[in-house]
Amino acid sequence: MADYPFIRIINGKKYFYRFTVNQRIQHVILAVSVVVLVLTGMPLKFHDTSWAPYLYALFGGIQAAPIVHKVFGSILVILFIFHIFYLIHIIYRGQILPMKKREGLTVKNVLLVLVRQPLVPNLKDARDIGDLMKYLFYFTNERPKGDKFTWKEKFDYWAPFWGMVIIGFSGLVLWNKEIATTILPGEALNFSLIAHSDEALLAALFLFIWHWYNVHFNIAVFPMGNVFITGYLPEELMVEEHYEYYVKVMTEAGLENEILPPHESHEHESQHEGESS
Amino acid sequence: MTATYIRKFRYAGIVMFLMLCMLAGTSASPADASDITNCLLCHKYPGISRVDEEGKLRLFYVNEDVFNNSVHMKVKCEGCHTDIKKIPHDTAKKVDCLVECHITEPSTETKFSHRDVATYLEKSVHSTKDEKGQPKEFAEDLPSCKECHDNPLYRPLSFFKSQTPGISEDALGRCRTCHKKEEFIYRFYNHITSRLHKTRIPLNIAEVCARCHDNPDIVARHNLSTRAAFSYGETFHGKAAKYLSEKIPDCLDCHVKKGTSVHQMLSHEDPRSSIHNNNRSNICSNTDCHPDASQKLSNYAVHAEFNLEQSKTHYFFTLFFIMLTGGTLLPLMGIIFLDLVRRFFPNASMKRRKK
Repeated sequence: MADYPFIRIINGKKYFYRFTVNQRIQHVILAVSVVVLVLTGMPLKFHDTSWAPYLYALFGGIQAAPIVHKVFGSILVILFIFHIFYLIHIIYRGQILPMKKREGLTVKNVLLVLVRQPLVPNLKDARDIGDLMKYLFYFTNERPKGDKFTWKEKFDYWAPFWGMVIIGFSGLVLWNKEIATTILPGEALNFSLIAHSDEALLAALFLFIWHWYNVHFNIAVFPMGNVFITGYLPEELMVEEHYEYYVKVMTEAGLENEILPPHESHEHESQHEGESS
Repeated sequence: MTATYIRKFRYAGIVMFLMLCMLAGTSASPADASDITNCLLCHKYPGISRVDEEGKLRLFYVNEDVFNNSVHMKVKCEGCHTDIKKIPHDTAKKVDCLVECHITEPSTETKFSHRDVATYLEKSVHSTKDEKGQPKEFAEDLPSCKECHDNPLYRPLSFFKSQTPGISEDALGRCRTCHKKEEFIYRFYNHITSRLHKTRIPLNIAEVCARCHDNPDIVARHNLSTRAAFSYGETFHGKAAKYLSEKIPDCLDCHVKKGTSVHQMLSHEDPRSSIHNNNRSNICSNTDCHPDASQKLSNYAVHAEFNLEQSKTHYFFTLFFIMLTGGTLLPLMGIIFLDLVRRFFPNASMKRRKK
């Protein structure tokens, strides 16, 4: 942790540590594989369109593109399995093992630990969505005060998580159809094809519209947020999206005096800037 | 004046015609052996055409290079156009493919004819007569030779080092050792190697079948369960065909029993048919395809259209994903839109308006 202080100050600007190197590498592998899989998969789904043959030809056409698709599909399956072990590892080492030493292991305690994981949806997310609606419809100028992970990020995490289970399983069935149909009926291939291609379209649209809007196209971060590379989130975005968490970590770091006021509409923001200068 | 003009034009026409003949005479390609009656004297001109009695523009151009690479290159024009006895000729009759042409079939040394093909066709599901020999309903929808075939080109293959399309000079060198006639060598090489694989790629086969099997009227009239080429196109096989793969199965690979004529295609209800329930598993487990395939693999709905009439489960399964996609993306896109509005017009306020 010595290399990664929780709050890093560069040229007077504060940056907050959010993602470890391990998590960032996982994200890059995920991102690259998903993009390649979409580019080698969609020309098959949309084989009737004018652009599909050109895009498919970029990946070697029908001779090579299916192989590229399977290679990157395999990478994604391995990443998913790694991620599950990674989750088990950090929860066990970080929370369950200390708890075992402290107060003993009970089912209730373990369940409580799991339910309180920062990425598990909770009632605060529902409240935050309600607050966001009030903000978006101009009933208030205050953005919802997000915790460490907002509902958007939880959505970004669980949607691909569910997607990878569905697409990964159906993809493996379609790939290994001879083995799969020793157990499953032949129609499982039809359902796998529907699930694989339709869920993939949903995942692609979700990532390229919703996720990319939040991390690339949104005017607060355009052309892109750096947190997925550096692991650090700048203070203004921390204030905008994770105010509750921001106040907590600033207090813990003994920087109560430097806590910025919550993000409001742009007009108010400029006033605050005027005051601070 | 007018008569002089016409005369001048006539001379100009004759001069041009002679020049064209000279140009044709100097062209590199040798005169076609099958054109001993000199039909190409007129039919070599790309513009040769007329409007027929039904008002349709008919083209009569014969491209000599293309014809000389086609499977009928050795057949003389009058071998098929038997009614043409003089030049200039009257309106020619439609070609009958079952006619005995001027080719001698080498194994029996008899005049060659496609009559056997017609015999197979008569025994197939595409026959115009039913089992009792009575004409079928809508017999006019059923295909005859020219519905599926034109004059196909040879697709020679080379097997030196690797299997590649085209003629191998290495092989020709071997032929020339014993055979002296270039035309003979070319024809036999083309004939044999074209027969070692398909003369049409899977996409073209599917397109031929689609002419009837994707026609909604014909599908409805004959009570067929699917638009066959369309539903084939929805499978990986069909999509790969679209990307010009030759390794994937086309219509004929599944619907024709191995080792029999493609013309003897049988109904799925016929126990002899390759796609009959009892025989289907042998299709997929073909050594060229999925040798480890079990019976269950062949129960895959290969002509699924994912609509309500054909399969409720497929339809609702698809609908679930469409609704999931719409249900997820539309609200999120709504939020993106509102977020953009909120960022571009930060000073608007519901409260202020009330005041």
